[in-house]
Amino acid sequence: MASDQTAGAPAVVHPDDRDELYVDGADWETVVDAVEDETITVNMGPQHPSTHGVLRLVLELDGETVRKLTPIIGYLHTGIEKNAEYRTWVQGTTFFTRMDYLSPLFNETAFSIGVERLLGIEAPERAQAVRVILMEFNRIASHLVWLATGGLELGSTTMMTFGFREREHVLDLFESQSGLRMNHAYIRPGGLAQDVTDDFVERCDALLELLPRKIAEYEALLLRNPIWNDRLRGVGIIDAPTCYAYGVTGPLLRAAGVPWDLRKAAPYSGYDRYEFDVVTEDACDSFARFVVRVEEMRQSLHIIRQALDTLPGGPVMVADKRIAWPSQQSLGADGIGNDPEYIRHIMGESMESLINHFKLVTQGFPVPAGQVYVPVESPRGELGYAMTSSGTNKPYRVHVRDPSFVNLQAADLMTRGHMVADVIAVVASLDPVMGGVDR
Amino acid sequence: MTGDHAPAPAFGVPAPGRGLTGEALTTERLAQRLVEAFPGATTDIQHGELTVHVDPGTIIEVLAFCRDDDDFACEMLADLAGVHWPAGDHVVERQASTTGWPEYRTTRERGVIEVQYVVRSVSRNHWLRLSVGVDDDDPRLPTATILYPTANYHEREVYDFFGVDFTGHPDLTRILMPDDWVGHPHRKDYPLGGVDVPYENDQFIPPPDERDLREVVD
Repeated sequence: MASDQTAGAPAVVHPDDRDELYVDGADWETVVDAVEDETITVNMGPQHPSTHGVLRLVLELDGETVRKLTPIIGYLHTGIEKNAEYRTWVQGTTFFTRMDYLSPLFNETAFSIGVERLLGIEAPERAQAVRVILMEFNRIASHLVWLATGGLELGSTTMMTFGFREREHVLDLFESQSGLRMNHAYIRPGGLAQDVTDDFVERCDALLELLPRKIAEYEALLLRNPIWNDRLRGVGIIDAPTCYAYGVTGPLLRAAGVPWDLRKAAPYSGYDRYEFDVVTEDACDSFARFVVRVEEMRQSLHIIRQALDTLPGGPVMVADKRIAWPSQQSLGADGIGNDPEYIRHIMGESMESLINHFKLVTQGFPVPAGQVYVPVESPRGELGYAMTSSGTNKPYRVHVRDPSFVNLQAADLMTRGHMVADVIAVVASLDPVMGGVDR
Repeated sequence: MTGDHAPAPAFGVPAPGRGLTGEALTTERLAQRLVEAFPGATTDIQHGELTVHVDPGTIIEVLAFCRDDDDFACEMLADLAGVHWPAGDHVVERQASTTGWPEYRTTRERGVIEVQYVVRSVSRNHWLRLSVGVDDDDPRLPTATILYPTANYHEREVYDFFGVDFTGHPDLTRILMPDDWVGHPHRKDYPLGGVDVPYENDQFIPPPDERDLREVVD
């Protein structure tokens, strides 16, 4: 019976080597055949636990096979780009750090480099080295969240607790330096908000000692795990030419065999001084992305080690008093706050310093007219800041090319022909952060 | 779609000056080649970045040239964004205020929406910016989705924020703003909006674009 009915059935579009998904004896085909030409449309999200925040996916299903996937976004749109046009350049850092909330330091760095390039200045070497150290820790923290949430979505609750546990250690480091776990506004145009604390190197060393062991643990847990392998291998395939066409960058492009990494291709913040490998895989599937991300964490640790060993001394903010944020902070008994020495200086000793402080903090500094495009390699790919200045103390327009926003377009292509459950694996492997997608 | 097509990294990991399979063209060389191919284009190099100003009518041709030319080989459209330069003679007079209506210097007779395409070559490791100015009364451009599928979301965003009509776009709808939204928020004549913020003594601070802090600053 089955063979008669399937003979005339339209060929089911599905990727190669996926025949094992179809029940032998063609029972499944019989069912699909009976509802030929009938697809159902299912809403996944925006409040679905596996869609990374408020992402809504409209699935067109033929039985349980995805025929079309339409991401619907904008639920988290906060108008950051518009708001920034009404604030000074330094205030911009506070806005943009909130875009991709899992990689705040990349947003801050890209924005700051943009302002610095427009001003024609460069942050001091120490500030650049600290930026690199913190960005690489941020990359690890971001990949850990990806491992944790991705693991949870595919049924590995242990991975979830592991990932968030270690990420908390990294966030502790950020908190000790900037006062905040996330959305730091620590990296500023011209340098850093304040110098790192005395125990910075010690804290980093502790993490460098801890994390390699933990990463080995994740690998031991997942690399040969049959469920993890079955769910990820051969799922969500996207090859290099398709990545180019869809503008897909980051671990997805590297998992398609292309060693494209802006840290190497167009170094910024002194990345050319450090030695590291660009991790690539050839399988183009979700599993390859997992391997790439885990290995990237190791490379990040390698970069941090070098940056710590060669950490230069000196200032962390440009010397130009027309640009450098005047306020100084120090660690008191009740946490980080205004530096009493500095307050004494502006309030009691120097009227000019007080005026300068007041003018800079309230009015900011004018930035020469012009435009720049600053791309950095964020954990998700090319994070680009296209900034236009009209010569005033506020940005004229800042457009952010967020990698999550661009990569999400490929989700349709990567899920067609897969099962509904694979949609979760594919979206997890894309690692979209809705704060960045919707901005 | 399988992994067989992954290009062999003949040149190793791309670094400044060389890409996946070939040497990068210098900014000057890129500018020269483009002007040779499109005599109407003007080039501008700022902060080491090349901007090519192109006529709206030829943008698709130029994009196709950048993608298909063997030396350019820009296989990726990295970014596509808009900037609004309204008409009028504006003076920078409230630059001193912390927040408030942003001022801009412009003496344009007609308002222009500048649409900027950042095209990147991974195989050569160079990039350039193509800039097209369209009238803000009736902004219209041909879609780039036929050349770069990634332009889909970007063009929807530019439509959403600036109202640029990309003719031929497969699904030109709002992407970040709600579907029933009226107006295009990133145009400079669109107010930021907001509510009064309560302050002490029953006083209120108006929203950022209605604040006038001149009396405070001066």
